[in-house]
Amino acid sequence: MKVSVIRSAVIDAPIDRVWAVLRDFNSHGRWHPAVASSRMESDLDGDVVGGVRRFSLTDGAELREQLLRHSDREHTFTYCSLDSPLPLFDYVATVRLKPVTDGNQTLWDWRSQFRAPDHRATELENMIGQKIYEAGFSGLRKFLAEKEGLPRPPGPEAATAALPAACGEYLPSKALVVASTGDPEVMTLTDVTISAPGPQQVRIRQTAIAVNYLDLQHRRGTSAGFDLPGTPGVEGVGEIIDVGEQVNGFFTGDRIAYMSRKSGAYAEIRCIDADACIPLPDGVSDIDASTLLKGVTAALLLSRVFKAAPGATILIQAVSGGLGHLLSQWAKSMDLIVIGTVSTTEKAKFGRDRGCDYPLVVAADTSLAAEVMRITHGRGVDYWVHSSGARGLDAALACLSRCGHCAVIGDRDGQPISLDVNVLKQKSLTVSAPVCFDYFDDRPFLHRLVHQLFAKIQSRTIIPAIEAFPLSQASKAHSRIEARQTMGAVVLTPGG
Amino acid sequence: MVKVYRSTVLDAPADRVWRDLRDFNGMASWHPSVVLSRIENGQPADKVGCVRNFQLKDGSRVREKLLALSDYDYTCTSAILDNPMDLSHYIATLRLFPVTEGSRCFIEWSAEFDCPPEKVAELGETVGDGVFQTGFDALKKRYGRR
Repeated sequence: MKVSVIRSAVIDAPIDRVWAVLRDFNSHGRWHPAVASSRMESDLDGDVVGGVRRFSLTDGAELREQLLRHSDREHTFTYCSLDSPLPLFDYVATVRLKPVTDGNQTLWDWRSQFRAPDHRATELENMIGQKIYEAGFSGLRKFLAEKEGLPRPPGPEAATAALPAACGEYLPSKALVVASTGDPEVMTLTDVTISAPGPQQVRIRQTAIAVNYLDLQHRRGTSAGFDLPGTPGVEGVGEIIDVGEQVNGFFTGDRIAYMSRKSGAYAEIRCIDADACIPLPDGVSDIDASTLLKGVTAALLLSRVFKAAPGATILIQAVSGGLGHLLSQWAKSMDLIVIGTVSTTEKAKFGRDRGCDYPLVVAADTSLAAEVMRITHGRGVDYWVHSSGARGLDAALACLSRCGHCAVIGDRDGQPISLDVNVLKQKSLTVSAPVCFDYFDDRPFLHRLVHQLFAKIQSRTIIPAIEAFPLSQASKAHSRIEARQTMGAVVLTPGG
Repeated sequence: MVKVYRSTVLDAPADRVWRDLRDFNGMASWHPSVVLSRIENGQPADKVGCVRNFQLKDGSRVREKLLALSDYDYTCTSAILDNPMDLSHYIATLRLFPVTEGSRCFIEWSAEFDCPPEKVAELGETVGDGVFQTGFDALKKRYGRR
């Protein structure tokens, strides 16, 4: 069967330097780890089209390849295999470089096509892709770094050096402390010391701390579960400094995210139960991982609460907010039709860029019901994510389709919300009030949602939008959220 | 003939970026200089030959015709029909290449055009930095850093 192999990488060197090495068809012996030696037959130069090179591989095999095309203008050459120890037929490969003008780097694209026996196609594709092309990328990087004094690619040594050196009983840190509840300014940056982690805890140096609406309520004193004096914050990301003696599976230097019912995240360093920690995969940055709680809440609503089906319609209140913008991207990736409410046209544009098909700017005189019915052709929406408490709940129920479902989340105004069940009966409606932590006690379920979230972030199906503030400016972050001036998620960065 | 070339690397797979860039009518949603865009005569934005009419931030208007669109090799080529600058015979191509290492993508934007000799440097900069690199910077922000 026909097999095609494509591998590409960005080399941190200008194109002229990379091409100066690669343009020599006889150069592989100097930089490719799999090639022990290379020579040109008839002693031709490495840029003679038609020339044949003879490789001895490090495993002892011999092969011959012929240069078919070579262009200094296009930074490309094409060659074919004449004799090979592997069952590759009609093997033709092309190396092509392109300049990355932004940053003066080089794109290296290496691809080939050949025929191979059916049962060996996958094996050969992987072997050539990894052992020849990808190994070639690393080999050339190393060659350039050693021979030409370019910076070496970050290896394991660099990672070790970046680890925090201090690992003592007590570590100095800064934390935001609320002595008495009130305005954003009641949070004061205070010097603290953090003792070694308990037996089932890890001690972490935080890199990103999520700001959730719950933190604002804790600070104001409108939500239970926050003792004074206290440090707000239920979610963060960081690197493990040291681990308690009974902790399994986490090690110094691991990158983790956590969320916890217990507050205390607004700090540089803290201890946290190892049970609450989730290891971060490569490809998910610390700052993106700080949207964990909002992201898995979005997943929870769509999967467990609504059991959403493709083609259904969902209305998301505050679609430009921390939860809203993740929820709308997730819903869009499931092929739902997304309607969102926002307060300004700027937020409407932001929402539209993040999967919201119909961002509606809601003003005091807007008839939301009329708009929703127009968009849904009089049918109403299947799911409604309600975050404005008692306000607007009647309108929400009026906008639902038959058998529709309204999930009341958050606790915006802290006011009691009354509900007439007879209203629900008129259209077989469901109203739920999910509190995410109740669902997340089911750890295997939570880990499934986390896995889905990270996969969507890695594939950029979901792109978190983040407004970052230094930890010392937490008051400003809170004020901006209360003034409804933020879009996307808000994150605090210690040392930033 | 003036030639302009710019390229960069985006932190998202080519498929993901192409989903946004293949929309010939979508530039207003990602390019900071483009305020409004519409396709003339109500044609679909992926119909080769359609004309987009957009308004720039400074209020001026540009009309561009779609000459080629390829989902197979992530390429979009267009020609300027009317513009407020001294450009003629302007043809630009936007193309993505997957970077398999780290599942990112390489994006290149190139253009060829004619203009009065005294305006070569100025217009080369306007197109290369003002249009291409400004667009890249917005895309880099949009897809974030992993």
